[in-house]
Amino acid sequence: MNRLCFLKVRTLGTFLLGLTALTLTLSSSTGGQTKAAAAAILPNKASGSKSAPITIEVFSDFQCPACKQTFLQTLRPLMDDYVASGKVYLVHRDFPLPMHNHSREAARWANAAAQAGKFEAVEEALYTKQESWAANGNIEAVVAAVLSPAAMKKVRQWMQSSGPLDAAIDKDVELGKSRRVSQTPSLFVTHGGETVPLPPGGVTYPILKQYLDYLLKK
Amino acid sequence: MGDSTPLPPAGSEPGAAVRVLMLVGRVALGAVFVYAGYTKLRHPWMLFAMSIHSYQVLPEWGVTLVARTLPWLELALGLLLLAGVGLRYVASAASALLLGFFGIMLSSYFKGLGIDCGCFGFGEKLGVRTLLRDGLLVALSLGLTVAAFWSARRAVPAEMLQD
Repeated sequence: MNRLCFLKVRTLGTFLLGLTALTLTLSSSTGGQTKAAAAAILPNKASGSKSAPITIEVFSDFQCPACKQTFLQTLRPLMDDYVASGKVYLVHRDFPLPMHNHSREAARWANAAAQAGKFEAVEEALYTKQESWAANGNIEAVVAAVLSPAAMKKVRQWMQSSGPLDAAIDKDVELGKSRRVSQTPSLFVTHGGETVPLPPGGVTYPILKQYLDYLLKK
Repeated sequence: MGDSTPLPPAGSEPGAAVRVLMLVGRVALGAVFVYAGYTKLRHPWMLFAMSIHSYQVLPEWGVTLVARTLPWLELALGLLLLAGVGLRYVASAASALLLGFFGIMLSSYFKGLGIDCGCFGFGEKLGVRTLLRDGLLVALSLGLTVAAFWSARRAVPAEMLQD
């Protein structure tokens, strides 16, 4: 009886220890922060000073509603409060999702505008008029509405050679995939040589502001 | 204090078996809670706040409150479980907390929110694996709670006999 009981206890004890080991194993391979510096940045798709202590990279899809919301509610105030004052270098990374039929074309227009030095104006227009061009596919009209005729002429010239534009987009996509980006928007904060992915879907300006202030005080 | 691992009547083998299992269970669960608290406390609380916010169940002030207090609560529960102090109450609290987490995680998963679990630090996607893990922890915690109450109930007659 004693031996039988001992065997039962041992079996159940082993089971519980196994359960704990399984739990800890399942929790041990979390993504967490990657200790990699911000990848090479094209200045024409970025805002602010390169020498800012913090770099924020935003992997975004122009046709994604959550990206529009993040742009309007988080990135706009961020640009006013941190980018303009030289504390944050904000970098746009293209990550057009296959589920959005016009997002790659929109990214091409944005990259063409970046080559003409007009990225910020076009980015703003693409997000604020997202519902319009996402419905009818007329991205050119949205871009033309915010650029001068001379700038629009340059942008159209860039659009005629889609190879370099697609290459720039693909480079961003590859970078995103290497960082396990699977959805948009995905934000990465680099400070002191350490790049931290921010939890997707949870970045609000008030919390981000406190995080940036914390990093700046470090 | 006295309800941590109450002694069963002398010579009772099932009581001894339960006592050993409770010891293993509370040490295992305690270690998981301590680890969960530690992984959150080693990063700025704002990152955990972002994880909580992504579940879309709390207002801004609630997010801040939970982000600043939950890791400490997890740490305290873990240490109490490891110490075996007030086991019935601590195991009940742990079960309530884990059931709450599990319900919210399950709901978020079926809503299709592509968010982080936020369970052990950040950077881990909410998915089948995290749900399976949390389900196992819920089962372990509930088992420990039932065993703690059962064991305490068995201990009473023995104490009365000693009186």
